[in-house]
Amino acid sequence: MILSRTSRLTLRTVALTYLFLLVAVPIVLIFYRTFEDGFVAFWESITTPAAISALSLSLLIVAIVVPLNVIFGIATALALVRGRFRGRGLVQAIVDLPFAVSPIVVGVSLILLWGANGWFGFIEKDGGFKIIFALPAMILATIFVTLPFVVREVEPVLHEIGEEQEQAAATLGASRWQTFWRITLPAIRWGLTYGIVLTVARSLGEFGAVIMVSAGVPGESQTLTLLVHGRYIDDHNTFGAYSASTLLMILALITLLLMTVLDQKRTER
Amino acid sequence: MTDIAPSADALHALVEGSGAINVGSHAIEVHGLEKHYGDYHALRDINLTIPSGSLTALLGPSGSGKSTLLRAIAGLEVPDGGTVIIGGSDVTYVPPQEREIGFVFQHYAAFKHMTVRDNVGFGPSIRKQPKAEIAKRVDELLEIVGLGGYQERYPSQLSGGQRQRMALARALAVHPKVLLLDEPFGALDAKVRDDLRQWLRQLQSETGVTTVLVTHDQEEALDVADHIAVLNEGRIEQWGSPREVYETPANTFVMSFLGPTAKLRGELVRPHDLVLSKRQIDDAVPVTVERVVHLGFEVRVELRDGESTDLSAQITRGEASRLELAVGDQIYVRPGLHVDPVAPDSAQPAPGLEKTSA
Ligand SMILES: Nc1ncnc2c1ncn2[C@@H]1O[C@H](COP(=O)(O)OP(=O)(O)OP(=O)(O)O)[C@@H](O)[C@H]1O
Ligand SMILES: [Mg+2]
Repeated sequence: MILSRTSRLTLRTVALTYLFLLVAVPIVLIFYRTFEDGFVAFWESITTPAAISALSLSLLIVAIVVPLNVIFGIATALALVRGRFRGRGLVQAIVDLPFAVSPIVVGVSLILLWGANGWFGFIEKDGGFKIIFALPAMILATIFVTLPFVVREVEPVLHEIGEEQEQAAATLGASRWQTFWRITLPAIRWGLTYGIVLTVARSLGEFGAVIMVSAGVPGESQTLTLLVHGRYIDDHNTFGAYSASTLLMILALITLLLMTVLDQKRTER
Repeated sequence: MTDIAPSADALHALVEGSGAINVGSHAIEVHGLEKHYGDYHALRDINLTIPSGSLTALLGPSGSGKSTLLRAIAGLEVPDGGTVIIGGSDVTYVPPQEREIGFVFQHYAAFKHMTVRDNVGFGPSIRKQPKAEIAKRVDELLEIVGLGGYQERYPSQLSGGQRQRMALARALAVHPKVLLLDEPFGALDAKVRDDLRQWLRQLQSETGVTTVLVTHDQEEALDVADHIAVLNEGRIEQWGSPREVYETPANTFVMSFLGPTAKLRGELVRPHDLVLSKRQIDDAVPVTVERVVHLGFEVRVELRDGESTDLSAQITRGEASRLELAVGDQIYVRPGLHVDPVAPDSAQPAPGLEKTSA
């Protein structure tokens, strides 16, 4: 397509304005508001006991969700690519479900299932083990929304490397475990890392599913996203909300940066 | 891709290291092997005996079940029925890890994230051999396959032929009882393929490791193998020495798969077994010359008989100039007397076990 100089310039201006207005301006505005009164104010706002607790809770959820997603994600991807079983299509659809279902629906359904009156309510009633409005439910909710990432990143890589390297390892005497650790895992490591980064970013940012199943007590059961919400809506502490948002964004930026670096590494190979 | 001949010393080292030589017994036996893929009957009652130290080719058209058979021998495919015996023990349900085999894949199956050194040393390192010992063995093998000095490269930095030689070294590193090759040179260009074929032949005859080679190229099979098993639609049509399958084919499939054929009075003959003459001798068939093609030292004469079927004869240049053939000539063709099967061609080793005593 050949465009005249003016129309090309117009097109670019429109595209850039769009990006700028819709993405850059809101983010920059929050940064501006956060640091308007200097770095110290920001620092004090994100080191209150409630903020520190929210950051640790968010990171704790990430630390639990990532290993679980890695293990089950790899296992699922292996089953989908290497396995020959009936109902593969169904499994594929289930893996994609979290992409389609709204997080708030996830929260509601978790309460239905695990809540005191749900199917698994006996665990709480008889076992005294609190799930809904406690950490377990927040983890369950986060797992639900992040489930597809590792599977969907690892699956195409497994397809691409094929089975021959694994079979060659078997003929050379390697057991299934040895083959997995020495052949399969190194071969899928970039796809896996990418999947992990996406999982981390989504876990940190999840709000809708988590707010439904969290008790939302500051300093106790608030994640970073809930802290932003709580400060803004409940406490009318707008500055506190801005600085917590900025903290979230910094974490997201670090993840994004990591992702870009890894992506470059991956395409180099 | 020049100097890839194995050095005598290096080969000697390999032979000493390999426990493969086992004179007089059968390295591999296959009895009544059956394999189905769903409704598809991929292997039908396969019976095959492969003598120790020999090089056997599994030859057949695409889809005839060659790879399936080889993979069943390797343990990469579990048969529905029958038995596989390697080195005297029944391994039908033994996993590939425990079969003491070396397997080379058509597309190399190189471990992409490992250096050449780690690829070749993979088997020994799984066996927890000491590092120094592995390094020594790897260097030795790389020398043999002509990749000395390539230790630190990655497979992506090698040519196809080099990758395949690395795969061969990797398979040999574990002292396999048998070496199984699935179209190892199929993905390479003709010149490299030819070189590697000769090289493999030499490597095999000097190491004496029992080798099974899958190929769909009849020239390759005739060139390198001591024995050829001709497969078609999951069956073994014939098993024998290259001369046997070429000269006394068991049926028309084997006849036409192993070389060009011409049809004369409803019978299949080799084009080079046809004798042309200007006069009618005995019951020779009258034909017209359609085309004369000079192919270097041979001449192909394309002919048409009374029922307008085409056939071609392959004759020598001398013969062609003596006959002074021209397009449109009326001549006579008959099957030649069969060549005395013993007299010429004594250079071809008889199939069997004598080379293991070398
Ligand atoms: N995993 C499989 N599932 C279903 N059918 C298969 C499978 N593997 C092989 N087959 C079928 O079995 C038949 C024999 O396959 P095989 O790979 O042994 O052929 P081949 O002689 O090695 O052919 P080629 O020269 O093309 O490699 C083919 O018709 C193939 O389609
Ligand atoms: Mg094949």
